[in-house]
Amino acid sequence: MPQAFALTVSGMRKRFGALEVLKGVSLQAREGDVISILGSSGSGKSTMLRCINLLETPDEGVVTVAGETIKMRKRGERAEPADRRQVDRIRSELGMVFQSFNLWSHLTILENLIEAPVHVQKRPKAECVAEARALLEKVGIADKWAHYPAHLSGGQQQRAAIARALAMRPKVMLFDEPTSALDPELVGEVLRVMRALAEEGRTMLVVTHEMSFARDVSSRVVFLHKGLVEAEGPPAELFGDPKSERFRQFIAKDKR
Amino acid sequence: MDVGFLSDTFIKLIGALPVTLEVWALSVALGAIVAAGVTFMRVSGSRPLELFARAYIFVFRGTPLLVQLFIFYYGLSSFPAVRHSLFWPFLRDAFSCAVLSLALCTAAYQSEIFRGALASVPPGQVEAARACGMSGFRLFRRVILPIALRQALPSYATEVISMTKATALVSLVTLWDVLSVALKIRNDTLVTYAPLLVAGAIYFVLNYFIARVFVFIEYRLSPHLRPRPS
Repeated sequence: MPQAFALTVSGMRKRFGALEVLKGVSLQAREGDVISILGSSGSGKSTMLRCINLLETPDEGVVTVAGETIKMRKRGERAEPADRRQVDRIRSELGMVFQSFNLWSHLTILENLIEAPVHVQKRPKAECVAEARALLEKVGIADKWAHYPAHLSGGQQQRAAIARALAMRPKVMLFDEPTSALDPELVGEVLRVMRALAEEGRTMLVVTHEMSFARDVSSRVVFLHKGLVEAEGPPAELFGDPKSERFRQFIAKDKR
Repeated sequence: MDVGFLSDTFIKLIGALPVTLEVWALSVALGAIVAAGVTFMRVSGSRPLELFARAYIFVFRGTPLLVQLFIFYYGLSSFPAVRHSLFWPFLRDAFSCAVLSLALCTAAYQSEIFRGALASVPPGQVEAARACGMSGFRLFRRVILPIALRQALPSYATEVISMTKATALVSLVTLWDVLSVALKIRNDTLVTYAPLLVAGAIYFVLNYFIARVFVFIEYRLSPHLRPRPS
């Protein structure tokens, strides 16, 4: 029996005014898949990720998380979620990591980690604290639990943000250019954490510019171009013998 | 100017301090409640509510407080409808008129402070909260409000301090606050500046303590803005 789909997206479209950013994108992630989403800027990769957990509302398309389809309805020209509670619940099952970390500045690192588990998922606080400490250990900043985000380096903040997302025990992790806001020497520590997550079998969607991550860590690569999936496949296949001329150009640019 | 006169004046003025403090505390508190409502209307996304809130702020911030106070105390009573209304026992009373007009005025300023504080909450942090499944009141209570309150504190302190000074205007609608007692002593004794000096000192000390309280609150609520613990 094939592994279940952790996440599927089909026929996703999104338009900002006159600009159609996504023109019908589909994607399937099986449990344990690590999918790197590549594309030049403006290709729609971040928008697609943000449409999955409805930080942007897709105009068309179906998103299914662990077998549960997000219910949408039409309102005039635009679509909107039919059930706000379902959206909140599904969001809590998708761990999101942002380019700019977005840790809550008024809470300590530990408080950042237990905020959603305690107040959204209503889990017992002691359990959440224990789990949070273990997660901080895992991302290598256990000693920073009492610090505020402003007191950490960018790399440490992003690792804390990854731990915050993990603290909700998500079914799928979404990474939106997690290393793009970091100084080059801090990129490695974040990528190491992401690689470790991939190796323990987490389902991950990673919008990234890190070719080495896409090539070495991900199980599949999706290349978006002008709002459409231009090329898709296992990295060895895609990087080894690119069928798409555009993808060839895209990776050639990176090598220069 | 002898010390006996000064201490005598001081004791008389301190006797009037409770009126000043009551007008101040009640109008700031009532103003905060009204301001919360006005701010809610302002950011509600509903066009009519937003327009009402804008108009409210426009009027109360755009006209002198003294004019507002006189309209409430002297102006309204010239309408028979007001005199025969349910609110007349309330509106004929100088104290409640003073509190009401001060409250409505500070509400306009406070709601602008609140709006600015809300606008200063980093959108990324709100988005992160949404991505964790927070929405509605929980999102407001857990993320937006704590961040906004810290942002609001310095300007809010300024508004609260300027309100203690604004209470001096109520001396013009027959209330016996600190300033009106000082003016009466001045009239009775023909000593021009000593009573005013004592009154000024009382306001000054009062505001000093209010400012200290706000500095303390700000310090307590902003550990994340202090230097990194070593």
